[in-house]
Amino acid sequence: MSNTPATAASKSKAAGTSQPQEKRKTLFQKELQHMMYGFGDEQNPLPETVALVEDIVVEYVTDLTHKAQEIGSKRGRLLVDDFLYLIRKDLPKLNRCRELLAMQEELKQARKAFDVDEKELVD
Amino acid sequence: MKHSKDPFEAAIEEEQEESPPESPVGGGGGGGGGGDGSEEGRIEIDQTQEEDERPVDVRRPMKKAKTSVVVTEAKNKDDDEEEEEENMEVELTKYPTSSDPAKMAKMQTILSQFTEDQMSRYESFRRSALQRPQMKKLLIGVTGSQKIGMPMIIVVCGIAKMFVGELVETARVVMAERKESGPIRPCHIRESYRRLKLEGKVPKRSVPRLFR
Repeated sequence: MSNTPATAASKSKAAGTSQPQEKRKTLFQKELQHMMYGFGDEQNPLPETVALVEDIVVEYVTDLTHKAQEIGSKRGRLLVDDFLYLIRKDLPKLNRCRELLAMQEELKQARKAFDVDEKELVD
Repeated sequence: MKHSKDPFEAAIEEEQEESPPESPVGGGGGGGGGGDGSEEGRIEIDQTQEEDERPVDVRRPMKKAKTSVVVTEAKNKDDDEEEEEENMEVELTKYPTSSDPAKMAKMQTILSQFTEDQMSRYESFRRSALQRPQMKKLLIGVTGSQKIGMPMIIVVCGIAKMFVGELVETARVVMAERKESGPIRPCHIRESYRRLKLEGKVPKRSVPRLFR
């Protein structure tokens, strides 16, 4: 998936970081394009806009995770609840996370039942 | 945007051949075996009244909850979390107000009146998601721990997606104020980011960021 940006980045690093064309390793570029279109941008967002949004998102996740780690360090491990605590004021995000977690539970149960059924059919 | 043949894009292309969700079709999805022997088996639990032409694995018991899920098995099996056996990419088409039939009906009427443009944008909105392997890589890098549980990755992906939504929508508001049109430019995103910071929606670092 992101193999090309990774190898390009390592090549430019080996050649010396003062190269004019320094390739940044993008993590979410392709998905971000679809996402930005879904949220209101054009069908093909400008590449510099996508790059900026990616940087902002990576910084956001990093800062959020650092804060969650600070909270989690008090009880030992980093847990999902630390993230939920951090977004407690933001109701849409909080409800969405609850929804996602409930759905994941549901899927897990369904998958478990599926595996059991499959085993029964085989026997 | 060109389509590559990864499982996610393949799922989108297959979906695009079908019509958007319309008035209720009787019963859930029909029979047909799922391709669980192959690498890209597509298993779907169709429990809402939606379109009928989909490969469905019937062995799964149907639940009353109105959930419609397309599960695509990805090729890489490098996950070692305790909850997951395989690396699954989940496509969620569950309606947000699933427990309320009145709201569901309302949603259906709205969706049926969408223009093609609106429908395509809504589809992108529902289907797009930050990729979990990439997010896992990022989280491992940030926390320094080797194991990150699946629920955490899912939650952070969800939070990040909503944050992108806030950014883009605020950027559009900024553009409307400046009476500009066309694609969103970085200056709009920066202004939007500044406003979100003022609102307190962006976690603030106690120490300023060095050596980016």
